[in-house]
Amino acid sequence: MAEDQEEQFSRSQRLKAAVHYIVGSLCQEVADDKEVHFSKQAIAAISEITFRQCESFAKDLEVFARHAKRTTINMDDVKLLARRSRSLYAHISKCSDEIAANSLEQKEKKKKKSGSGGNVSRNSDMDTVFPESKD
Amino acid sequence: MERDQDEVAFPKELVSKLLHEHLKNEKMRVSADALLLLAELLKVFVREAAARTARQALVEDITVGDVEQVEKILPQLLLDF
Repeated sequence: MAEDQEEQFSRSQRLKAAVHYIVGSLCQEVADDKEVHFSKQAIAAISEITFRQCESFAKDLEVFARHAKRTTINMDDVKLLARRSRSLYAHISKCSDEIAANSLEQKEKKKKKSGSGGNVSRNSDMDTVFPESKD
Repeated sequence: MERDQDEVAFPKELVSKLLHEHLKNEKMRVSADALLLLAELLKVFVREAAARTARQALVEDITVGDVEQVEKILPQLLLDF
């Protein structure tokens, strides 16, 4: 049991480190843009906030999907996360349209490929299923 | 996505792991498109946090955004997301 907890702890530490890295680079972009520096503590605070915010996002997404009687979280659920701010909702809706168009395009390509090249199904389920193993 | 090539973004795998870390129902799955969209939302969230912190620092006439400025912008940030 104690090992389980330890494992859980180190896994969330690793996730936090990954978030921290991305947040650091994003803050650097903003810093260059606005000509304001961020202290290390400020960046750490923002990444901690982001990590906690993910928890609330996950819980919301889960109940949204369940409310729609689905077991898969889709883009509509994510759109609902952005419901509180109108401009954010508009931006996320635009992105969702782009993503939908993109994946439709890729599906078409795949269809053409499998139509001409026979049974090439090595990567067919790559973009729908995410394995949990890699780290 | 092409438009994100030179920009920093959350990788899909990381978003997936972050989500599964907090999902209560183990059987809940997440579509690939939803992961991409969530990555965008997280990016906007972080950039908003940073930009608001920077603006707060400028208002206070300092050039370093510290935890104090993050604390000030946090309540409104969380109300907007």
